[in-house]
Amino acid sequence: MSDARPAQAAAAAPCDAARPFATVQRTRRNVVKWIVTAPPFLFLLVFFLLPSLIMVLASFRYPGEYGGLAPLGAATHPGTDHGLTVETYQFFFSSFIYTEIFIKSFIVALATTLICLVMAYPLAILIARSPRRHRDLMVLLVILPFASNFLIRVYAWMIILGPQSAFSHFVNSVLGVFGAGPVTMLFSPFAVLCGMVYVHLPFMVLPLYTNLEKHDPVLLDAAQDLGAGSWQRFWRVTFPLSLPGIFSGAALVFIPVLGIFVIPDILGGTRDILIGNLIENQFLTTRDWPFGSTLSIMLTLCVLATAGFAAWLARIGARRA
Amino acid sequence: MRRGLSLWIAAVLVYLFLYVPLLIVVVYSFNDSRLNAEWVGFTLHWYHVLFNDGDMLQAWANSLIIACTASIVATVLGTMAGIAMHRYRPKLLPFMVLTPVAMPSILLGVSLLLFFIQVLNLTLGMLSIIIAHITFCIGFVAIVVHARVAGMDDSLFEAARDLGATPWRTFRLVTFPLILPGVIAGLLMSFTMSIDDFVITFFTAGVGVSTLPLQIYSMIKIAVTPEVNAVSTLLMLITLTLIVVASRFAPDALRGKA
Amino acid sequence: MRRLGTLLCAVALCLLAAAPAVAGTTLYLYNWNNYISQSTIRQFEQFCSCNVHQDYYGDNEEMLAKLAAGATGYDIIVPTQFAVSALIKQGKLRPLDKSLLPNFRNLDSRYLDHWFDPGNQYSVPYAFTITLIGYNVQKMRQLGIPTDTWAAIFEPKYLKKVKGRVTVLDSQRELMAAALKYLGYSVNDTNEMHWRQAEDVILRAKPYWAAFNAQSYIREMTIGNIWLAHGYSNDFFQAAQDARRAKRPFTISYTVPKEGAVIALDSMVLDKTGRHPKLAHQFINFMLAGKHSSELTNLIGSGNPNQAARPYIDPQIAANPAIFPTPEVLTRLEYMKDLDHRQRRTLSRIWTEIKVR
Repeated sequence: MSDARPAQAAAAAPCDAARPFATVQRTRRNVVKWIVTAPPFLFLLVFFLLPSLIMVLASFRYPGEYGGLAPLGAATHPGTDHGLTVETYQFFFSSFIYTEIFIKSFIVALATTLICLVMAYPLAILIARSPRRHRDLMVLLVILPFASNFLIRVYAWMIILGPQSAFSHFVNSVLGVFGAGPVTMLFSPFAVLCGMVYVHLPFMVLPLYTNLEKHDPVLLDAAQDLGAGSWQRFWRVTFPLSLPGIFSGAALVFIPVLGIFVIPDILGGTRDILIGNLIENQFLTTRDWPFGSTLSIMLTLCVLATAGFAAWLARIGARRA
Repeated sequence: MRRGLSLWIAAVLVYLFLYVPLLIVVVYSFNDSRLNAEWVGFTLHWYHVLFNDGDMLQAWANSLIIACTASIVATVLGTMAGIAMHRYRPKLLPFMVLTPVAMPSILLGVSLLLFFIQVLNLTLGMLSIIIAHITFCIGFVAIVVHARVAGMDDSLFEAARDLGATPWRTFRLVTFPLILPGVIAGLLMSFTMSIDDFVITFFTAGVGVSTLPLQIYSMIKIAVTPEVNAVSTLLMLITLTLIVVASRFAPDALRGKA
Repeated sequence: MRRLGTLLCAVALCLLAAAPAVAGTTLYLYNWNNYISQSTIRQFEQFCSCNVHQDYYGDNEEMLAKLAAGATGYDIIVPTQFAVSALIKQGKLRPLDKSLLPNFRNLDSRYLDHWFDPGNQYSVPYAFTITLIGYNVQKMRQLGIPTDTWAAIFEPKYLKKVKGRVTVLDSQRELMAAALKYLGYSVNDTNEMHWRQAEDVILRAKPYWAAFNAQSYIREMTIGNIWLAHGYSNDFFQAAQDARRAKRPFTISYTVPKEGAVIALDSMVLDKTGRHPKLAHQFINFMLAGKHSSELTNLIGSGNPNQAARPYIDPQIAANPAIFPTPEVLTRLEYMKDLDHRQRRTLSRIWTEIKVR
């Protein structure tokens, strides 16, 4: 097919040799472009974009009597003939409790991000300033825990923080010296935070390291020559230059934490429910799919807003630097 | 010098923070106590239990089948997407490729559940899990491949074209060998992501098709015995081997992963 | 290229090596966790030369939600009454073929022909449990906490002595039912005012609880981390037995609170989407045989609706009113009914508030 058409083109303009060649190239380029782009595009169109749109639609439907969605145009909902409603959104705002959970999730995500940042920074600096031949190994050591299953990494904290563990005994005996009562660490916000930081720490180290590695050591030498102390060199030179790395690391930690449900589920206590748990609950306990969809859409909006904010900050940071 | 020392101490503490929990999991897999609350004594009993646990072995097999299929398909599609994103600069594709990677996985899980049940009326099982895994793995491959393609000299392809090579020949003889490390890195990454995934599988798995993470989750939720530790230890050993092998085959792959 | 080939071969080899040899048909059973003994399962596997695959749930709502969310292909499910009726109304169940169930006559007629399935067209009574409180006997005695009332888990004056050592079921319906009972209402009360009162009771007590837990409290009690729990009678039976076997320095016991409690009759039903109805009938009939049914009591600690099982039942268990309620206790027990979607949404909001506050 694609061979036949250029031949016709060549016959139509015999005096201009360059143009048919260009046409052949262009047609071919288009065909190739189509072949390369279409399969991933179509796959994601069907299995990512379409489901997302369906979810938007589902948030405006009524819940089915036994779960799922009520059929469209169901007569069970007087006053509507189309089976669509904004009732679910009204329900969301009818009680402050849901907004509260969103705020709480933001706080947990922020705390996780900050702790990760504080822990990751020295490590990233150290790796970036190590001899080149050591760096790969040091980075590999950061990634390696990733190789164990996510659930196992969370489960490890169940053992560590459990009331019978050596760590618990140690903490409680230290507290005992100060006269403070014994504390239970498992099933608490503290346990949730431990799990969150543990699972997401590498996401902070890697972008930070990638950024710090690019810094020109000459800048620090220059600052030293100008009489800047080590703290000053850090705050005036290294830190501002690393802002883009911080922001991309922060986005990589903050966004997944917003939607997580497994960690509060396994390590959390009686108050630790986050957006993720709420969504999971609507689908896997309460059978309220429209409300689950509404919550998911709210979460998506939060994620988009966060990502936009991070991108904006990164752009400003880059401009300053 | 003092500063260097404090940096080292901080770094060592962070490394300890990363490794001690895993070490504890490994140690407790040899604990001779069903309750696994405190250390009782050494035993290999739990490995014996593990190798006779039919459900666990079945879940293992399922996980491997899913991870292999999903990572291979995702690598093909993701490589295409990575190349397309560099060469044709499409507007919508990067968004569709990157969003499933960036957003909280529960969103993808839930929307696919809705789609499979409400629209396709599909029986959840192996197929639904594989599709879901491909969807989020494409992104990882595309990112790595895109980075690789973007780092290459475009004049190479122009030269090949000027020498009369067909697009397929150009791809086979020039592009592919050059991006191969990226492709392998993508393949390994999506394999690991697929084996590791719990959340999306949790929402898209049907009856009788359990994967390793699902199995581990139900054990953690219901009755934790050191068998969980045993399976974790073996899993770590296997991924560790895989990474060592990967670094032998494609030393660049690990950098790509970073 | 060749290296890549080798890598792929290696992966393929791994795959082959890992694929276990699973032979014969598999019966898919969706059951409460800790509701059938492994040895009973093994006997059935030998009897039918097949495999039994079990998935577990800790709450009826969870099971109904999973089925609504596309879990198809189970052969047998073991729901509680109201969940049976919900499944029948949804048309999810396959009618029983009684000719394949000669042991059906073993059942005590008091447990047959109930409102949720008149004539037992779909369901076969399996076992019953009571939702009650279980406790560490020594600790309760030492701290002077009464164990025959819901006040133990709801009243701050008792709870402050056991702060962080109490768990309650992670189940909207069960916890609400306990609080309603404590207030003197029916477990099926759907008056929102009463629900709000129950919420207040729960919120007042919540700061003292360690966790909402529907599954692993058995283990936590056996270890000694938890001293007092709201849970199912068969789970406490298990915990008591485990504690005795592990030679823990304490004993675990359980009683029906004097205010009353929820009793759940769980029945075996056939999922329409199951692929082995013949085998499923075989399983039900197997479980109805007196000896096998008695294992549900002797090994699991649940109440037994099977008359043929009586001779095999350990007399000590048969005399335990928390497992086999006496007629007097029975008057204080209630069966739960299903909620409609609006009530579910309201309850879910109250539950969310309970979890967050």
